[in-house]
Parts: sequence; structure tokens; C-alpha cells
Amino acid sequence: MAKRILLVDDSASVRTVAGIALRGAGYEVVEASNGQEGLSQLNGERIHLIISDVNMPVLDGIGFLKEVKKHPNYKFTPVIMLTTEAGEDKKQEGRAAGAKAWITKPFQPAVMLDAVSKLVMA
Amino acid sequence: MLAVVSMELSDPNVVNILEATGSFEAGNAALQPANVDGVCSLLPIWSRQVETSRRQTEDAIVALTERFSQIVQRIDAALNTSGTGSQRTDAQAEAQRSRKDLALVVDALKAIQLSRNELVGQIRTLSNYTAELHKMAAEVDLIGFRTNILSLNAAIEAAHAGESGKGFAVVATEVRALSNAARDTGKQITKKVGLINDALAQIGRTNEEVAARDDQAVQASDERIRAVIGRFESSTAAMAAAAQQSHRESTAIKAEICESLVQLQFQDRVGQILAQVVGSMNELTDKAANSTADEAAQLAKEHADQMMSSYTTEEQKLNHQGIETTEVEQSAVTFF
Repeated sequence: MAKRILLVDDSASVRTVAGIALRGAGYEVVEASNGQEGLSQLNGERIHLIISDVNMPVLDGIGFLKEVKKHPNYKFTPVIMLTTEAGEDKKQEGRAAGAKAWITKPFQPAVMLDAVSKLVMA
Repeated sequence: MLAVVSMELSDPNVVNILEATGSFEAGNAALQPANVDGVCSLLPIWSRQVETSRRQTEDAIVALTERFSQIVQRIDAALNTSGTGSQRTDAQAEAQRSRKDLALVVDALKAIQLSRNELVGQIRTLSNYTAELHKMAAEVDLIGFRTNILSLNAAIEAAHAGESGKGFAVVATEVRALSNAARDTGKQITKKVGLINDALAQIGRTNEEVAARDDQAVQASDERIRAVIGRFESSTAAMAAAAQQSHRESTAIKAEICESLVQLQFQDRVGQILAQVVGSMNELTDKAANSTADEAAQLAKEHADQMMSSYTTEEQKLNHQGIETTEVEQSAVTFF
């Protein structure tokens, strides 16, 4: 059965690029345009990995990540942050909140897929 | 509208506030109180212009991305339909199977030919026997001839014996009749053996003619089968080559489009930069509206600091500091 990935980003173009790559690699992709929408997706079918932007309206990526780690079913689910933020402070903030990897945009789909394959839960 | 903005940017009042917020090189940063209100009245206009540009760019890029995405999906569908090199292998395997099956048919025809040739060989062996029969019939005739001569001599001797030889003369006559019958039988055998020999010879000749025709037919069938299989293989190979070429081209086009999609990520980055600019302008407008002219310099410095902390990209920070931005690094990954 295909692994399901939650893709959270307010940029439709980024969701499209990442979505094509992930679906092409055989993953199922669930999309959300901000952290709040992302949290509501956690109540559906099981998510095996989460990819999230940092700077988003309504609920940003770090806030979303903190909420994910409080969720009883998703506290151990790997989260990859996919963001234009390249500063070390922000990265450490993401690490402290529980992120497993930090990819800066613009990104090559192959790089993202490599990180996903290393982290996706069995 | 561009002309208006250009004139406004060249306004000395604008220059003053841009210098104060760090957008121009440091120095001569004192704001003239009288100018602050005028400049601040321009900020909402710039903000709206930038926001409109950002939104239009975003809409266009999102639409473009969606179009590209649909093209990629259609190419994927076409690639899945056209298949890959395995179809070529299937066609080649089918051609090889057909070649083997048809070769079996030719082999079967050749086997029939061999069987018939063996039969003819056996018939030829019979011809040898008929030669022996012919010789034996001749010997029977010779024996009859000699017996006839013997009976004649016996009849002569019986006549010389007179009355006492009459009985022997009857025996000699019967022996002569038997010898004549033997000679007739010998001649009949010779005649019949000759007929059989002729028939066998005719069978041999007919078989040779038929065998020659069969050889030609089998050879022609073999050549036709090879030609048909050859044409089939050529056409399937050509079709497979064309399909593979099409597959390669489609894959290359898809890769190009995917790479273009990657490049379109600039919208996300540019959008964030412009959104920050708009937000910052709006904040400055609000702050300026609630501050006095004396507070303007401090306000500008505080706002510049706040701007610095709100940047999300490296080039924003470099631009703020007046440092030339370099090419954006792609796909830096950090695992925690």
C-alpha cells in the first residue's frame, strides 16, 4: 500500500511541484494550504510523513509542527520542513519543535524525494 | 502609473526616508519633519502597487504551474499507454515463436518427402528381385527347351524300338507336352516380370517428378515463410523503434517541463519578499500616522530593525545591508 504524505504549503505552485514528484514516486499526497488545514487532515486516514512550509497564513509551520507533536497519533511521525528560511536560528527552532529535516527552497524534487525515502515510516 | 511612481521615487523627501530605513547607504539620515507626512502619504500607494503586482504574479504562476502540471499528467498517461521497450521484446518474441512454428510445418513437409523417398527406395529393391525372377523364368524356358529336345530323342529311340517302344513313345509325347508347357510358363513369367518391371520403373520416374515438384514447393514455402517473418520482424522493429523514440522524446519533454516547474518556485520566494515589503510599508504608515515629527528618526530606526528580524530569505537580509545578493542556493538539506 502506498505511503501517504501530508503536504502543507500556502504556495499552490510549490504544492504542485512537490505533488508531481511525490505522486510520481508512488506516494499518496494529501494537500493543505496552511497549518490549520494541515491539522484537520490528521483526523482522516493515516499519514506516514509530513512536509510543511514554515511561513504560512493562519497557522505557520512551526506552530503546526508543535501541534503535530502533541497529537497522540502523530507525535512520532517524521516532519520535513520545506521553506525559504535558511537562517540557523530558524532551523534550530524547527529542530527543537521536532522536525527531522530542513530543506530550503527552491528545491530539487530529487533531493526532497531522497529525504522522504530516508524518513518515511514503515 | 509607472511614470508617477518614478517621479515620486526621485522626490528628495522619499530619498530621505529610504536612507533612514537603511534602503540607501547610511549617512545624512536626518528626517525633515515637514517631509514625513508627504512621504508617508505615498506609502499606501506603493504598498497597493506592490501587492497588486505580487497577486497578479502569483495568480499567473499558479495558473502556469497548473497548466504544466496537466501537461505532465497527459504525458504520463501517454507514456503509460505507449508502453516501453518490453513491447518491442514481446513483438520480437512473437516473431521468433512464429518462425519456429512455421519451421515445424516445413520440417513436417520434408519428413513426408523423406518417407515417400524411402518407399520408392524399397520399390527399387523390388526391381532387383524382378531381374532375378526374369533370369529364373529364362532358366525355366531353357529347361523346357532341353526337355523338349530330350523328348524328341526319346520319341526317335521309341520308333527305333518298334512295337516294344510304343509305350515309351507315349511317355516321350507327354514329356514333350510338359516341356512345351514349361516353356510357355517361363515365357509368361518373363512377360509378367517385364510388365512389373515397367510398372516399377514408371513409379520411380513418377516419384522423381513428384519429388522434384515437392522439393520446389517446400523450398518456395520455406522462402515465403522466411520472407513473411522477415517483413513482420522489420515492421515490428520499425514500430518498436518509433515507439521507443517517441517514449524517449516524451520522457525528455516531461523532464524539461518538470525542471521548468522547479524554476517556477521563484514565485513563492518573490511572493514572500514582496509580502514582507507590503506588510512593512503598511506598518510604517500606521506608525508614522501616530507619531510626531520628532519621533520620526527613532521610528525609522526601530522599523528598520523590525524589518531585519522579519526577513525569511538570505537575499532580503543582504539587500537590507546593501550587500550584493548572489545566486540562491538550491535544495540545501539538513537532517536533525
